[in-house]
Amino acid sequence: MESSESGTLNGQRTEGNSSRAGGGAISVGQRVDRVSDTAQEAWSRTRETVNELKERLDIDGRVRRNPYGTMAAALGIGYVLGGGFFSPLTARLFRFGLRIGIRLAAIPFLENEIRGFAEAVVTGSEDDEGESASSSGEGKRSQQKGSKGGKR
Amino acid sequence: MEMTEQFEKTARELEDRIRPQIEEAKKKVSDLNERAVGYIKENPGKCLLGAVAAGYIIGRIASR
Repeated sequence: MESSESGTLNGQRTEGNSSRAGGGAISVGQRVDRVSDTAQEAWSRTRETVNELKERLDIDGRVRRNPYGTMAAALGIGYVLGGGFFSPLTARLFRFGLRIGIRLAAIPFLENEIRGFAEAVVTGSEDDEGESASSSGEGKRSQQKGSKGGKR
Repeated sequence: MEMTEQFEKTARELEDRIRPQIEEAKKKVSDLNERAVGYIKENPGKCLLGAVAAGYIIGRIASR
């Protein structure tokens, strides 16, 4: 009797254990399913977001229109992200660029100024020559008049 | 006069010799440019990521 009771007990126990184990296995499976579903959802959302961002930023179009410029911009973004913005190299590059920019901006200005100065000098000298020529012509005329008068 | 003629002749010879090389170099550079642009247009994502990575590495090196 004892053995049968214990057997039943054991049977109940084993049943309980098996049911518990079965329930645990299902729950683990469900969990795995849920996790995979969540991961898939997250992946699809990320893809959608990336596609939306791509469409909004029009990266492909930008790359097609100006490939080198886009690459340079990407390089610059990476440079800033890498912490190179506040570095001696950046300061040097900035100074170099500033110098070149100032020179490029100053050259047309200086060219115009020099041209204007040269024109002013040339026209001034021409005027002077004209004036001197006219004055010398008048002098010659007066001299001629004087000489004519003297002759008379 | 003879010196000038000689100089002109040498310059012409030099030009004749160098011109084909310059033309070839021009062609090569333009081919390279076309290939690079084509590759960038075909793989924009890869190229952009590569450029960002390269910039990041350069920035890292510069910040040290």
